[in-house]
Parts: sequence; structure tokens; C-alpha cells
Amino acid sequence: MMHTKDFHRLLIERNTFFCFSGPLSESALSAISDAVKNRVFEASDKRPLATKIFAIFIEQAQNIIRYSAESIAADDEIDAMGIGTVAISGSDVGFIIEAVNPIHPEIIPRLEKNLIELQAMSGDELKVAYTERLKSGPPEGSKGAGLGFIQMARKCDRFNFEFAKDNEGSTLFIFKVEIDK
Amino acid sequence: MIFTLEKTKRTPSVELSEKMLVVKGECYPENIAEFSEPIMENVQAVLEKARVFDVIFELIYFNSSSAMFLFDLFNMLDDAAGNGCEIAVKWRYAADDDSMEEAGADFEDAFEHASYELEPRDEI
Repeated sequence: MMHTKDFHRLLIERNTFFCFSGPLSESALSAISDAVKNRVFEASDKRPLATKIFAIFIEQAQNIIRYSAESIAADDEIDAMGIGTVAISGSDVGFIIEAVNPIHPEIIPRLEKNLIELQAMSGDELKVAYTERLKSGPPEGSKGAGLGFIQMARKCDRFNFEFAKDNEGSTLFIFKVEIDK
Repeated sequence: MIFTLEKTKRTPSVELSEKMLVVKGECYPENIAEFSEPIMENVQAVLEKARVFDVIFELIYFNSSSAMFLFDLFNMLDDAAGNGCEIAVKWRYAADDDSMEEAGADFEDAFEHASYELEPRDEI
């Protein structure tokens, strides 16, 4: 296992100033969101920029809670958990908000297609996609109506995604969003 | 006041009277259904009797689940306006906040009968 000091160094090297990894629930998110907010506002002198970073963090976290392939149900909805990792880091040009979670292979083709389409859209096209999605309502099994991805695409300067096999044989969905200062 | 909710870390303050609805703060509830259903029900009940109704939104931030709720609420308001109620909706935002300005503009399509205005302010 990686030595603790190397782990510490790793976070510093990649400028990751906030990271949560493990089972995430809405109540856990409430508990950590103040810490995230404070840290984000510290790191990014302007309020609109900080709010954007925070907004993306919330969408990333909520996608993990709702859609991670590794999930734990609970009696109270706010305690239902999705397992994954979300991290906020500084970059040369701004900030990076990353999310990783296990994903069911069956949903990959459609998700990949949707995200490739999103990536190719202009600001105006994204606005149309957003309003269309608002009007047509949530697809089955979705609480955020795919709006979460569209909102992130609109607020950010670029995003990348990947489906990666991990050592245990499961597939991970990696979604990386960048905001420039 | 017919219905009020105090502001929390993740939900806005909500004040509903017979003539007015004011919503201020941040909106990313732990449980969107639990938060939004009573609001929709109470607003619906008020709209059934109202002839004039003013709405003010002053949000700093809202998540995608809340966007769906806002859209449903705006549709309800616009339907009531189509049925004869005089409804004016103001979307207030901090003048330097492009995101909230854009978010307000996104909802313009929902309004065919009610009046809808974006209102930048020096401070929110």
C-alpha cells in the first residue's frame, strides 16, 4: 500500500485540496458541504467563481449518491449511499472537479453517447438541450433528468470522461470538469 | 402568512401569503420531493383564489433537481395567469453573477401569460 507520506505528497502534487472517498449520502453531503464551501471560497477569490465550483461539486456528489453501481439503501432516503470519490483541485488555469464511481456496464453505451454529444455542443446548443430536458421531464430512474450533466457542461470550460476497468474487474466512470479562473 | 419555511443551509426561505411568494437563498435540498411538494400544494391552493399574485425569487444557487421543481412551479404560475390571475414574477440576481442571470434567462420559455422580469441587484 502507498506510504502515507507519498499519499500526502500525491495530494499536494496534484493540488487536490478537497477529497471525499467512500459511501456518500445526502446527509453526509450536508455535513461536508460547509467545509467544501469554505475551502472553495478561500481558494477562489470571486464569489461567482466559487459558487460555480461548488455547484459542480454538488452535481458530481449527487450523481455518485444516486447512480453509483455500489450503493447501500437505507430506511431514510437521505441516508441512502452511493460509493465513489469526488475531488477538487487547483490547476494552472483554474480548478478541476473530478468524480469517480463504479458503474453498471449496461448503461455505458447510452451514457457515452449522451456525453459525446454534450461535449460537441456550443453554448447555445447546450441551452437548448437544457430547456428541452426541463420540458420533457426526467428519464426513467433519474431524479435529475440528465440535467446534472447538462448543467455541468454549461458551467464549465471543458470536461472529459472515461470508462476504466479497475483492478477488481469493475468498471469505473470518471468525470472530470474544469473551470478556468 | 399562509406558509413559511425558514432558510436552511440547503434550502431557501419561503414566504407565501395570499398575494405573494418570496423565495430567497440556496436550493439543493437533501430530499427534493419533501421540500417541494408542500410548496406546490400551498401555492396551488392560493392561486385558486387569487386575482393578483406577485413572485420574487432571489437565489444564489440551485442544483439540477431544484431546476425541475422551479420549472414545474413556473408552469403552475403561468397556467394560473392563463386562467385570468394577474401574475408577475421577478428573478433577482447579483449583478456580477453570470450563472444566476443565465439561470433566470433559462426560465423565460416557461412564461407565456405571466410577466417575468430579470432584475439585477448590486447585492443579494
